[in-house]
Amino acid sequence: MFLEIKDLSVKIENKNILKSLNLNINKGEVHAIMGPNGSGKSTLANVLAGKEDYEILNGKINFKDNDLFDLNIEERAQEGMFLAFQYPVEIPGVNITPFLHSAINSKRKRMNEAEIDNLSFAKLLKSKASDLGINIDMLKRSVNTGFSGGEKKRYEILQMSILDPDLAILDETDSGLDIDALKIVTDGVNKLKTKNNSFLIITHYQKLLDYIKPDYVHVMVNGSIVKSGGSEIASEIEKDGFQKFQ
Amino acid sequence: MNIQDNYLKNKKNIFFSQNKDIQNHREKLLNVFENDRFDKKNNESLKNINLKNFIDFEYKYLIPDETSVINNNQENSYSIVSVNGHCSSFKDDKIEITKILDEDYNDFSKNDTIDNNDHFVNLNSLFLNSGFKIVIKKNNNIKIKISNIITDDNLTIFQKNNYICEEGSSLNLIEEYENKNNSTSNILNVIKLEKNSQLNHFLIQDNSPNHNLIITSHSSCKKNSIYTQKVYNFSEGYVRNFHYSELVEINSEADLQGIFFLKDDNTSNNKTFVKHLAENCKSNQVYKGILNDHSKATYFSNTHVDQVAQKTEGYQLSKGILLSDNASYFSKPELKIHADDVKCSHGSTIGPIDENAIFYLRSRGMSKIAATKILISSFINEELGSIDNEQMSEIIQKKLVRYLSKVK
Ligand SMILES: Nc1ncnc2c1ncn2[C@@H]1O[C@H](COP(=O)(O)OP(=O)(O)O)[C@@H](O)[C@H]1O
Ligand SMILES: [Mg+2]
Repeated sequence: MFLEIKDLSVKIENKNILKSLNLNINKGEVHAIMGPNGSGKSTLANVLAGKEDYEILNGKINFKDNDLFDLNIEERAQEGMFLAFQYPVEIPGVNITPFLHSAINSKRKRMNEAEIDNLSFAKLLKSKASDLGINIDMLKRSVNTGFSGGEKKRYEILQMSILDPDLAILDETDSGLDIDALKIVTDGVNKLKTKNNSFLIITHYQKLLDYIKPDYVHVMVNGSIVKSGGSEIASEIEKDGFQKFQ
Repeated sequence: MNIQDNYLKNKKNIFFSQNKDIQNHREKLLNVFENDRFDKKNNESLKNINLKNFIDFEYKYLIPDETSVINNNQENSYSIVSVNGHCSSFKDDKIEITKILDEDYNDFSKNDTIDNNDHFVNLNSLFLNSGFKIVIKKNNNIKIKISNIITDDNLTIFQKNNYICEEGSSLNLIEEYENKNNSTSNILNVIKLEKNSQLNHFLIQDNSPNHNLIITSHSSCKKNSIYTQKVYNFSEGYVRNFHYSELVEINSEADLQGIFFLKDDNTSNNKTFVKHLAENCKSNQVYKGILNDHSKATYFSNTHVDQVAQKTEGYQLSKGILLSDNASYFSKPELKIHADDVKCSHGSTIGPIDENAIFYLRSRGMSKIAATKILISSFINEELGSIDNEQMSEIIQKKLVRYLSKVK
């Protein structure tokens, strides 16, 4: 199994958020999680990425034959996990280019691959940016600083395509994007898709799933997955909302 | 030993002890010490100070054998080595350097703006044992680098320097304080900028843990003159930076900036104070600190706007990153405005490093330590980016790397 979440219960500030959550993802699969606001979707994404504010009450997570809880934040990333944040943080003064360059090299180092030099990296970054319709000038700016909502999301996808992860988690990447930007971003995701990597796509609109076809759709309500199935579930939600799952 | 006995015992080694006026002035200062209750609460010059070390000290001073060196290495560019606060006299058609002893003291101290509340300035006046005066002559554009060397352990240097930038002159001044011995330097710089002159003043402070540096400056700016001061404090020993500016004539500017990097149980006290005494002047006071381990810092900033000083622009900012729960940074901005047409502001943000930013960077594969370092560098990005002197930029970068190498 590629990612296996078993009986996961998580609490923050005396509030139980995730409750005995189970989820399995195989290599090459695209999974979607849909759920109303506050159901715990971002919490799940953050716990997977290793955010330390949460208390893990119970459960196990296996990722690529590792106990995920044995890996710290950067080790998870270096092992091929990537989270496109719902709310990417602004980091003034940290330039995008050297930061991403150092990030990709720390991953290569862990994988015993040769580091990528300045020139090749600059080329790679430029070509990926132009694929995503990102202005070259934006690459000179500080991480997310002063970006519009849409620019931030695009920039998350740019980082994803540079780091080429095995498991990409997209937390409401569609929100804040107009239809043209949504097309560009989902194109980027589809291009990256191979039979060796997997996607976990978090959204609460069905729209995104018109562009990225999921193999499985899960409904998350109140910290647990209450229903799983194929893309027909997304259509059900589109029609009737989350009401009937609650 | 109390100050009085200490002074009397060493009197013959102290400058100008024979001068009647000075005698009188010093008697008064001794009285101040005698009667002061050293009220730590209300006297900013006493915050975070171990009084015992500073008031009850062993006076020791050696007139250096080595005479200081003045090199006119390139056109308009001078390098000076000051030894135990001494500098030999020098003169050409652009600058004039005078030993303090060759000065008529009355002339030397004529425009003193001594703050009776600041005990360290009072100590400087009492125990004065070194110093010099540098005049940049009219309309010259000069670069000076001063290396401050101290020759022996346990010296107490009480040094006073006068800088005068004559009309239309421009001075780029780099001062280095890099001492490895257990001495104490108490330095007072009195800086005068005449009409249309400019002084860019850089102070690089990088002393070893047992060296104390107390540095105070009083600058005053006449019409259209600009004083810019940038302090880089990498010292592992105590440093006090107290810097006062007076904008005495229209269209003048004072820019007092500092960054400090503290670790272990080091302390640094900082203060900037700008008095707007004329119309249309600008001031800027910005201090940023990075504090690790058990280190402590204070920063007091002040803008005073006189009632005649209309169209004043005054800006104050203090920022700090606390890298440890045991580090502390106390900052207090103050504004006193007596004119109505002014633009003044102040801000202060002090806190631990942004955990969300660390998480973001790590989630891309960067190690925690690399993420911390990149965030510290970004915190002072603006200050580092604005150094237009390549050699200095390199020096500062090196010291920053050294500081960061100790961050865990
Ligand atoms: N740091 C926090 N402190 C307290 N409660 C939190 C915190 N973060 C999230 N929550 C709560 O956890 C629940 C789930 O939040 P979240 O995972 O962001 O939901 P979703 O992404 O599905 O909208 C919400 O009720 C939210 O208020
Ligand atoms: Mg969310």
